[in-house]
Amino acid sequence: MRFVVAIKQVPDTENMAMNDDGTVDRTGVRPVMDPYSEYALRRILESKRDGDTVSVVTMGPPQAESVLRRCVALGADSACLLSDPAFAGADVWATARVLASYMQKFECGYDCMVFGRMSSDGETGQLPFEVAGLLDVEQHAYVTDLRRDGDSMISVQDYGDVVRECSVGAGAVIAFAGVDPNGTFMDVPGFLASLESNIVTKNRVDLGLGLYSVGSKGSPTSIRRIGTVGSTRRNRKVLIKDPRRAADLVLGELEAME
Amino acid sequence: MSGCSGGSCSTCSDGDPDRLPPGMLREYDLNQSTSEGILVWIEMSDGIEEASAELIAESKREGDGRVFGVVFGGPELKSYYPEIFGYGVDTLYHVRGLPVYSPEEYAEALAEVVERVNPATVLMGATPRGRELAPRLAAILQTGLTADCTSLSFEGRDVTMTRPALTGNVMADITCDRYPQMATVRRGTFEKPEPSEGTGTAIYWQYTKPVKREILSETKSVETDTDIRDAKVLIALGGGIRDVSLIEIAEKVASEHGGMVCCSRAIVDRGWMPRSRQVGMSGITVKPDIYIAFGISGSVQHRAGMADAKRVVAVNTDPDAPIHRFADLSILCDVGAVLKAMLKNG
Repeated sequence: MRFVVAIKQVPDTENMAMNDDGTVDRTGVRPVMDPYSEYALRRILESKRDGDTVSVVTMGPPQAESVLRRCVALGADSACLLSDPAFAGADVWATARVLASYMQKFECGYDCMVFGRMSSDGETGQLPFEVAGLLDVEQHAYVTDLRRDGDSMISVQDYGDVVRECSVGAGAVIAFAGVDPNGTFMDVPGFLASLESNIVTKNRVDLGLGLYSVGSKGSPTSIRRIGTVGSTRRNRKVLIKDPRRAADLVLGELEAME
Repeated sequence: MSGCSGGSCSTCSDGDPDRLPPGMLREYDLNQSTSEGILVWIEMSDGIEEASAELIAESKREGDGRVFGVVFGGPELKSYYPEIFGYGVDTLYHVRGLPVYSPEEYAEALAEVVERVNPATVLMGATPRGRELAPRLAAILQTGLTADCTSLSFEGRDVTMTRPALTGNVMADITCDRYPQMATVRRGTFEKPEPSEGTGTAIYWQYTKPVKREILSETKSVETDTDIRDAKVLIALGGGIRDVSLIEIAEKVASEHGGMVCCSRAIVDRGWMPRSRQVGMSGITVKPDIYIAFGISGSVQHRAGMADAKRVVAVNTDPDAPIHRFADLSILCDVGAVLKAMLKNG
């Protein structure tokens, strides 16, 4: 089976800046792999059998290559970076278009496209389903388990109130729920192999997309105004060494409510 | 000059070659979108989903134009009509032919109705199903979608959607330059309307295509957990909690004071607490009387879920944690020790 895992790279939150228009300034910031994407990749690599291929794809600036190298080190067979200056400032719709046309042009006949639950920075989790809508394929959200059943697959979806098992049709989009809190370490041979691996880069022209279909120009939504979250609370800060006294203070607050 | 009333004929145009017949404009802007009104997907789960009811009521109150509702199900839904109209729906589309939830076909059926109704705005509750259905519908309609909005402001048929932006501690006002504008809004953002009986127009919409997806089994999760939204006192645990045993202690403290324990995403990601207890952007929005945050740093995503608490107390060892700016009282002390001390006191 052929799996394609879409990887999101997020800016290292320790040192990032915002552009004036409210989008993240990714220049010069070293991207790191989003933990939700990493979890999805790991789940697929765990279930990989002989003859299966796992490729990874991400849209991002040229620096994102380091993230793809990490995916190869973890066990992905091939990696592709979708990078073009025109992709900058894309909203979900414009990103979905780039990914969908990559799938149609370069990953024809894939069996399953895999996403993480959401990204840890945007927290919207819409992308998998917009891509599924554009590709007109099945979508499986909140997947907790992806089982192999002979040559086909069965997904277990957790909707919160209902857990359902569905068979996974050809070309389906899978969005995993969950994250691995402990993260993963790559082994030394994997790391060395990743240094030599060849990361393919595709730009806007390779994907056959017009200038006004991608990036900020192709995005229907735009940020009008950015405001800091105001607070009306008058904060009183107290430093207390003795937990006993601190507890009394909190309990006092509780009693004041009752 | 008899028989001519308008002055558009050559005999009575007074020599003005541009004089137009009455009612006719010199120029017509035919590129203007005619979209109008608000369409809300009404989710059903043992009754009308609260998020949907809130959206209908808010659309009726603040929005411009008609409010359309779309509901999926069989004839058993007829008994809900008065309630749906009571919340403020003017025209209800009742889609038949899709007995089980299936995102692919639901999105297609919704797209058919949207094409017919041509609303300026499409709203859904940010429930698990809404979050999955809305992006698919947006892709079919080729329009933008703003997920998990914390507020909507209507101006004529245009709507400005506000949501926390990215990792920064900022809120972004977002607009969409295409129609319909789409947004998902979480439960608890707007006031919950009181059920009342109303009347309106109901239209059957038959969806004829078969469901492609094969559902092998479906099990209802047993919900033994009570809802943290109902709690007046909430003890919240965050990433600063280093020891699992502290959760049990927090549960005891909470029950002593008639409250409940909730948490931030860090705790759910560690697998220490279920997602039903998570407060924040990707969790639940709560409005308790008092919110005591233990070891919560206070990211904008978390604050989106608890900003409306009446009183906030933060216990955290980090004096620079952003939560302090949003707390009435901050205590800089070891989280575990304070929790343990509170238990003994009880």
